[in-house]
Amino acid sequence: MSDPVVVDHVTKRFAGHTAVDSLSLTVPSGIIYGLLGPNGAGKTTTIRMLMDIYEPDEGSVRVLGTSAGGRAHSERIGYLPEERGLYPKMRVLDVLVFLAEAKGVPRRSARAKALDWLDRLGLGDWRLRKVSELSKGMQQKVQFISTVLHDPDLVILDEPFSGLDPVNSQVLQDTIVDYRRRGKTVLFSTHIMEHAEKLCDRLCIIARGRKLIDDSLTEVKRTHGGKHVIVVFDGSQGGAQQLFGDRRLVAKVQDFGQQAELELADGADPQEILRGLVNSGARLSRFELASPSLHKIFVDLVGPEAATAAAVPVGATDKVSSHA
Amino acid sequence: MHKVWAIIRREFVERVRTRWFWVSAILGPVLFAGIIVYQIVQSLGGGVRNITVVDGGTLGYGKKVVEALGASKTIRANAVNLVPGVLDSLKRSVEAKQLNGFLILDDSLPSDGKAEYRASNLSLQIIDELQRTLNRVVEKVRLEGKGVNPTVVDWAQALRVTLAQKKIARGEITTENAGQSFALAYVMAILLFMAILLYGVNVMSSVLEEKTTRIIEVLVSSLRPFQLMLGKVAGAGAVSFFQFVIWGVSARLLVALRVPIARLLGADPASAMDITLPHIPFATVAVFMAFFLGGFLLYSAMFAAVGAMSSNEQEARQAQQPVTYLLMISYLSIIGLTNDPASTFARTLSMVPFTSPIATPVRWTAGSMGMGELAVSLAMLLIGIVAITWVASRIYRVGILMTGKRPTMKELVRWVRA
Repeated sequence: MSDPVVVDHVTKRFAGHTAVDSLSLTVPSGIIYGLLGPNGAGKTTTIRMLMDIYEPDEGSVRVLGTSAGGRAHSERIGYLPEERGLYPKMRVLDVLVFLAEAKGVPRRSARAKALDWLDRLGLGDWRLRKVSELSKGMQQKVQFISTVLHDPDLVILDEPFSGLDPVNSQVLQDTIVDYRRRGKTVLFSTHIMEHAEKLCDRLCIIARGRKLIDDSLTEVKRTHGGKHVIVVFDGSQGGAQQLFGDRRLVAKVQDFGQQAELELADGADPQEILRGLVNSGARLSRFELASPSLHKIFVDLVGPEAATAAAVPVGATDKVSSHA
Repeated sequence: MHKVWAIIRREFVERVRTRWFWVSAILGPVLFAGIIVYQIVQSLGGGVRNITVVDGGTLGYGKKVVEALGASKTIRANAVNLVPGVLDSLKRSVEAKQLNGFLILDDSLPSDGKAEYRASNLSLQIIDELQRTLNRVVEKVRLEGKGVNPTVVDWAQALRVTLAQKKIARGEITTENAGQSFALAYVMAILLFMAILLYGVNVMSSVLEEKTTRIIEVLVSSLRPFQLMLGKVAGAGAVSFFQFVIWGVSARLLVALRVPIARLLGADPASAMDITLPHIPFATVAVFMAFFLGGFLLYSAMFAAVGAMSSNEQEARQAQQPVTYLLMISYLSIIGLTNDPASTFARTLSMVPFTSPIATPVRWTAGSMGMGELAVSLAMLLIGIVAITWVASRIYRVGILMTGKRPTMKELVRWVRA
């Protein structure tokens, strides 16, 4: 089976700035693929081009094996946009059936599947209520059902975890994992690295519309991290700060207060650090040799300032009105 | 196509489910039933006016007028002499609704032809009847004064001329009367205006709802924006057709049931037979429907674009004004159109696509439009629809994904060109 998503040297410009700059990426079949980047990196623009909402200025997009974009395959794709909504005045079941029909799913089977999903997520009794009568968490569930109701082969989720309560977040994670188990492909974008680290088989980090990394998670960790140590304190930190400042031992430190992530200097021995900490009077509950967290790799690559700076691209003051 | 069908179906079902749809669906027939009941009650005697004739003279003209009014179905009169205080007491009776009005005359009536009528309600029908009766009385008195035999006068006055009104329209002579065809054209114009405005605004708010709830992004990932716009317009159009059908059928039904209704109200069933719908030729219905459809397509495309370029209700209300004004032009011209449907002004309005949906049916009904002109008007409208829909769909395509500030004119032009 060919790769479900192929993006080939795609560029998208809006008046004043380039949102996506000659981006290429390939999502192989049957994996969970993370599209990571700070705000304004071009994640949503890329996904919108996959879904035929925007046309690329240059380059091409192939979805599910044809040069047509997502719209032609809407009955095989589950798309959850970043900006979501439902018709507040419609009944829950009617909304689900309508959205499935709009994707090209026959009415009868859409209805059966919608009822099935509503029962599965505990919303069976709410099927004839208006959407506006549901709590926010319930609406999120309905939204989610509308994305996967038709059992799509390819699921594209744009910032799926934003605004989700913990329960729904778990439902979503379980479903994503379940999809991979059943051989389906999931592409999702996020700027929260913890989710990506837990779920992704493969990931692509982009910033300012350009690709920085595109590799499997293990490979990314192997090539982009030195030796790392995670230290968790149990009360007193003793002389830890002084030790962390020793550039012979520690190259970089991310101090979270009760926890710190250290990148060791070349040739430094972690045991020496442990000894030093104990001798300095620090009380430890954990001392772990680790591969670097994705968050750390991300911040190193993108730069701490990029996460905020990239959100407001230069010359993009009229971005809002120029998505022509 | 299946996808567009889903959009049409949703638009139709959700609108028909609203309370507003049924309120207006029921309001039409209720209004119509009211008119019928009113007419029956009117014929039942509810319409008889009581008046008093005040005679300030001694020659008995007051009695003569009351006598002449004796044959009237709508006026019941009695005569009194002008004594001090009588005018005040009659005035009070009128104010207390015991009397409809009073007629004041004196001996100079046949010489200078002057009389006065005072009433709380100066209805045209009553004035007309009083005037005719007074003329007859004066005529009779004056002729008899010159020695003409009273039987000869009666004989001369017994004949009333009836003027048959025939209309020459499109080379044919019809028996339709002037009042009816004027009323028909007027009612048609108002119906067209209301329907186009109401359902056009519906399309706009529906577009806006999808934009503000952000459901639009999922929809646009499944359908092309043009398909979406088409489905919306078709769905809202179907609702308005449904509304018209409900009104039309219930009007027919009420007219068919007018005799039982009259019996129920205790009126003479024969009097109810006079109530009829104006006869509307098939060609008129076809023209009405064609131009309603065309006008609806034209305006709802514009309203869809307005909805797409706005981010909230308030913005939309502002942005819809130019479109509403366009429609208002034809609405405000209805009187001018019906008064002189053949004028250059009327001709121009029926050729411009923005006004022809209302102007052409009015001119057609009034009979001042030939087949050739109708064809040109229709062709112009079609060209207008294609051009406007093209522009509107390009604005729609970009606008639906846009949030934030309203686009400037320059940006709109860029969207259309893109």
